[in-house]
Amino acid sequence: MFLGIESTAHTFGASIVDDQGRILTNVNSTYRAPTGIGIHPRKAAEHLNDVSSSVIEKALQGPEAKFLPDAVGYSAGPGLGPCLRIGATISRALALYMDKPLVPVHHGVAHLDLAMAAGHSHDPLAVLVSGGHTAIAVHLNRRWRIYGETEDITLGNLLDMFAREAKLPSPGGVAVESKAKESSTLLPLPYTVKGNDVAYSGLLTAALRLLNEGRSLADICFSIQEVSFAMLAEAVERSLVQTRKSEVLIAGGVAANHRLREMIQMVAEDHGATFHPVPVEYSGDCGAQIACSGRLAFESGITISVPESFVNPRWRLDEIDVPWIPRP
Amino acid sequence: MDSSTLELHPLHKGAEADLFLSELPPWKAVVKRRVRKAYRNEELDAKIRKERTVRESSAIRDAKIAGARTPSILGLDLERCSIIMTFVEGAVARDAIDTMSNSSRLTLLKELGRQVGFLHSAGIVHGDLTTSNIILPDGARPFIIDFGMATKSSEPEDRGTDLHLLQRSLIATHALDATSSFKRVAKGYREAAGPETTRSSLRKAAEIARRGRYFAIR
Repeated sequence: MFLGIESTAHTFGASIVDDQGRILTNVNSTYRAPTGIGIHPRKAAEHLNDVSSSVIEKALQGPEAKFLPDAVGYSAGPGLGPCLRIGATISRALALYMDKPLVPVHHGVAHLDLAMAAGHSHDPLAVLVSGGHTAIAVHLNRRWRIYGETEDITLGNLLDMFAREAKLPSPGGVAVESKAKESSTLLPLPYTVKGNDVAYSGLLTAALRLLNEGRSLADICFSIQEVSFAMLAEAVERSLVQTRKSEVLIAGGVAANHRLREMIQMVAEDHGATFHPVPVEYSGDCGAQIACSGRLAFESGITISVPESFVNPRWRLDEIDVPWIPRP
Repeated sequence: MDSSTLELHPLHKGAEADLFLSELPPWKAVVKRRVRKAYRNEELDAKIRKERTVRESSAIRDAKIAGARTPSILGLDLERCSIIMTFVEGAVARDAIDTMSNSSRLTLLKELGRQVGFLHSAGIVHGDLTTSNIILPDGARPFIIDFGMATKSSEPEDRGTDLHLLQRSLIATHALDATSSFKRVAKGYREAAGPETTRSSLRKAAEIARRGRYFAIR
C-alpha cells in the first residue's frame, strides 16, 4: 500500500496504489483561475491548502477500514514553489505521524510511469506534453534522455496563454480544442522545428496578432492546433526514426487532446510502432501518478529522511535515476 | 527533371522523405522524395514539402562549394518534391560509432567538426546534425547528408543549434562523454571556421543547452 501526494501547480491529489500498482483511490481537486486570468501561484497554493485534508481523508478511505500506507510519496518538483511546499509539508507530517518512509517523486517521471502502467507500455519513445513539459524522451542507462524538447514555452503554455488572452474559459486546452472543431480554415502561423526541438513563442505572438486583427477565433484555434501539433509530430517522427523504438507513449495534460493523439498515432503506426496513449482520465495532474511512480521508486530503495527532504521547482526530467524502466 | 520515369528501388524510409536507389548512368543515384504526411494539414504539408525541397537542393550545392563532403545534385523534380543526387556508399555513423576504436572515433569527431566548420563559414547551417546523417565510406573521410532542414544563416544562434544537436546526439544516442567528445569536435571546427566564428558558435551552443526546461542555473 503506497500513498502519493500531488501538489505541483493547480491540482492537489492523493492516491493509494496497492503492491501490484493497482490504483485503489485517486482523489483530486483542481484550482480553476477566473476566465482571462492565469494561475496565480499564491492563490493556487491557498486552494491546495484548503482542500488538502479532505482530499487525503477521502483517498485513505478504503471499502471497509482506512488504508494504512507503507510509505508516502510526494511531488518534489518541478512546479510552482508555493504549491510544491504545501504538498511536501503535508507529506512530511504524514510520514512522521505514521512513522513511514518518505519518497521524493519527479512530477514528469510520474506522468510517464502512470501512462506506461495504464497504457501498457514497456520501453517507449515518450512524448510528455503538459503545462510544465513538452519533451520527447527515451530511457537509456538508468535515465530518461531528452531527444527533443521545446526551446521556449510548452504546448500547455501556448494553449493556456492563448485561451487566457482570447477570454476562453479554463482549462485553456479544452476550450481551444472545442473551438477548433468549428473551423477548417488554415491561417498562416510560423512553423518552427529545429532538429528535434520545437519553439512555440513565435507562434503564440502570431496567433495573438491574428486575434487582435479580429480574425475568426475558430480559425485561429484550428490553425494553432494544426501547426503546433504538426511541429511536435514532426519532431516525434524524427526521434522515432533515430531511436527505432517500437512503442510511442503520449502523456501529460495536453495528451487529452484528440487531434494531437490522432497525429502522434499516425506517426507511430507509419513507422511500425505501437501507440500507447495515457487514458484521458489520467492525462492531467493527479495523485495516482505520484502514487504509481513513488511505489516504483520505493521498491527500488529510494527514500529520503524528513530533514533531507526537498522541493525543487526546476528539476529536469533527465536529472533523476529511474532504474525501474524498462518495465516488464 | 521528371523522376517518374526512373526505375526506383526502395532504399530507406526516413522521417520526412523516402529514399530510392536508381541509375542515372554513369551515376548510381538516390532519389529523395518528400512524401505527404497524413498527420499534417494538407495545405500546410504541401507548402512545407515544396519549400524544403528547394531549400535542400540549394544548400547541398552551397555546401559542396564551401568544401564540405556531400552528395552531388543530379536533378530536381519539384512536382514530386524530389531531389536526384549521387549515392554515397558507406556505413551510417549511428550504427558504426559504438563499435569503433577509441582513436578512430576521436579522428572521426574531429573531422566531423571540420566539415561542420566548412558549412558554417559558408553561411550554411545543417539543421539536423545527428549521427544518422553522417555516412562513413570505407577508409575515407565522412560525408554529411540530408540537408532537409538546412538554412542559409550566419547567426550564432543557428550555428549553435547545429552544434547543440550534434552534441546531444553523441550523448543521448551513444552515451559518449560530453566534454571529451565535444572537445574533439570543437578542435576540428576551429580549424575550418577560425577562432572568431568558433567562439560565438560554442558560446551559443552552451546557452541553447541551458534553455531546456528546468535547468538549475540559467
